[in-house]
Amino acid sequence: MELTGVVKTFGRAGHSVRAVDGIDLSIGRGETVALLGRNGAGKSSTVRLLLGLDQPDSGTVRVLDRTAEHAVRDGLVGAMLQDGRPIQRVTVRELVDFVASTYPKPMPVSEALALAGVSDYANRRVDKLSGGQTQRVRFAVALAGNPELIVLDEPTAALDVEARRTFWDSMRAYARRGNTVLFSTHYLEEADENADRIVVIDRGRIVANGTGDVIRGSAGRGLVSFDLAGGPTEGLERLPGVVTVEVSGDRALLHTDDSDATVRELARLDAIRGLQVSRATLEDAFLSLTAPTAAPVSDSERETV
Amino acid sequence: MFRYIVLEIRRTLRDGSFLIFGTGMPVMMYLLFTNIGGGNDVDGWKTASMVGMAAYGALGSAMSIGTGVASDKTLGWLEQLRVTPLAPSQAVVGRAISGSVTVLPTILTVLLAGGLLNGVRLDAWQWIALALLLWIGALPFTMLGLGNGYRLTPQGTGVVNVACLMGFGIVGGLWFPLELLPGWLRSIGRFTPANRFADLGWATTEGHAPGAGTIAVLCGWLLLFGTYAVISYRRSARTV
Repeated sequence: MELTGVVKTFGRAGHSVRAVDGIDLSIGRGETVALLGRNGAGKSSTVRLLLGLDQPDSGTVRVLDRTAEHAVRDGLVGAMLQDGRPIQRVTVRELVDFVASTYPKPMPVSEALALAGVSDYANRRVDKLSGGQTQRVRFAVALAGNPELIVLDEPTAALDVEARRTFWDSMRAYARRGNTVLFSTHYLEEADENADRIVVIDRGRIVANGTGDVIRGSAGRGLVSFDLAGGPTEGLERLPGVVTVEVSGDRALLHTDDSDATVRELARLDAIRGLQVSRATLEDAFLSLTAPTAAPVSDSERETV
Repeated sequence: MFRYIVLEIRRTLRDGSFLIFGTGMPVMMYLLFTNIGGGNDVDGWKTASMVGMAAYGALGSAMSIGTGVASDKTLGWLEQLRVTPLAPSQAVVGRAISGSVTVLPTILTVLLAGGLLNGVRLDAWQWIALALLLWIGALPFTMLGLGNGYRLTPQGTGVVNVACLMGFGIVGGLWFPLELLPGWLRSIGRFTPANRFADLGWATTEGHAPGAGTIAVLCGWLLLFGTYAVISYRRSARTV
């Protein structure tokens, strides 16, 4: 699956928003990839382009060596869209059975129901289920056709902790069968725990692309913070090891690859006031990457589907 | 596509209020209108009204498919369909066929009420032709309802459908005879879809085939409303 230089703009001239602003991304067969970003970062727009629901203004989208529409038409893609709500007056089994019947090589309906963990209420009506149950039914719909690629747009938004855990258990079981999975989320832990690779999107661009560890490291593995006490902030980004600098109030937060060297230099400058040194978490990295001045990083060289 | 048709028919038939109001209302109105004056059949009024009410009910059921489509759109179901291998043309045609199948119960119950309760007597071929013609003739209205549904919100579809239904009913002479309208409106009325639709039924009960003009006018409307439905579907697929 490959996106090359993809741009998608919404709205009229003068008021347009570049929802996707030049994305290049390849995903290999069998990978599980998370699209991580804040709300409105361009995750859903990217997903819609991948599914052929929207056409890019420029750039190309190729899914399994064909256009997105063809991949969908050929039954190679299954999807769980954002904001999909249950339709009325149909049972879980009827719904999954119907969707499976539109695909050329579906899996047996009972298997789809079991994988998604909905066998227990297969004969109940879709519109009579709880939020977590509905979400798993939608997952069953996405995988019913046994597609090569499955795309899940914010699959766990609005679910409680328990429902999220059972959902991800099902998802991992499906990924273990060798299928390619792309999901979007704004939960860092979900991306970290369930994906082989995380693609961080911000303002329609990819700002980081790699494993959770690579992302953690990309903005500096250590965090050094201290009180500025009215001191200057310029030049801080040139201190040894420092990758990015954040200033909030009177406190400076340095993301650094070498906290020892950074601290030594701070001591030489006699700038140590209320010093704290810690390891960067994924959240720190994410916040730093999606800060207004963040620069893109990438590590990815993978074969393309 | 066959499975899609089955799924949608199933969903419609499980809708109790649709069945009661879509099917029950025309029957009630028919029985009320034809029995209110002591139940004497004046000049085949029971037959003519049976055709009129079956046509009116069929029209209403056919267009009400739009409300269902509009709510499917709101639920994201149309979009979910677009990410299955089901082609867009199959989705529209399938929905039209399933919609037109659910028109049948309305037509049949009014005809049954006419035959069993009001003692309307027609030849066997006339009954069959009547049911079939009313059924097939409802297709343009199904397309109009679909077009509204793909384009509008559920509430908007409901309002527009009722407006269309009343407009067609009055100008088309379903509510009272066309002769009561002013001359200019009368000549327009003859070309409206509902009037030609009911004419299919009236021709049958009078024992002859519908005129070529009637069929041509209905085909024209089918083409127009069908195009409208397809264009609306394409529009509904786009974001912003």
